[in-house]
Amino acid sequence: MNSSGALKVTAQSDREIVMTRVFDAPRNLVFDAYTKPELLRRWLGILGGYSMPVCEVDLRVGGTYRFVWRGPDGAEMGVRGVYREVVRPERLVHTEKFDEAWYPGEALITVLKSPMESGVAQSYDKLAELLASGALEKARR
Amino acid sequence: MTELAAPFDISQPAISKHLKVLERAGLISRGRDAQRRPRRLEPRPLAEATGWLETYRRYWEGNFGRLDAVLEELKARKKHGRSRR
Repeated sequence: MNSSGALKVTAQSDREIVMTRVFDAPRNLVFDAYTKPELLRRWLGILGGYSMPVCEVDLRVGGTYRFVWRGPDGAEMGVRGVYREVVRPERLVHTEKFDEAWYPGEALITVLKSPMESGVAQSYDKLAELLASGALEKARR
Repeated sequence: MTELAAPFDISQPAISKHLKVLERAGLISRGRDAQRRPRRLEPRPLAEATGWLETYRRYWEGNFGRLDAVLEELKARKKHGRSRR
């Protein structure tokens, strides 16, 4: 379809995961795809028969978002968070907490869209994501 | 430990420190054999960690593949002057 780059996933620190992916599109379109419900529900987490019946975005600093996915068996999985920084088109920072979280605390997601020679690079920082789980926490000290 | 340190250009205390970190993380274990303290690799926790990362990577590869398709469509729409905000 198009020449997009491969996804790179690295652990930046004990509690930080960085994903880097190149998109063959202008930054403002990528930003739209990340922040407009009608676009989000077409790509985020909709695999294996899952759809996203709830996708609400209040795109401003301090605004919240709410996503709920529903599986073919009717099982639902919800997540919510608060936008911390909204700088179109290059930067989006928000918290993330699943309804039935399997980890303590909440994750902080930073979506950075840097212009590149062709396309857009994106990096994702997942702070305190799963790596903040009990086991690794214990292993730290 | 002398054997483990031999190929590396760092001091024995430094090697010892690295081994302690690996041991605390459950990635190696220490045996006992007369005067020697052979270390053994414990692959399971490492496999668990990479397995988790792999699942995670696949999930996001799927997401980004669909995102590519959405972006292609947005680009085409823009080109045809049917852009909507």
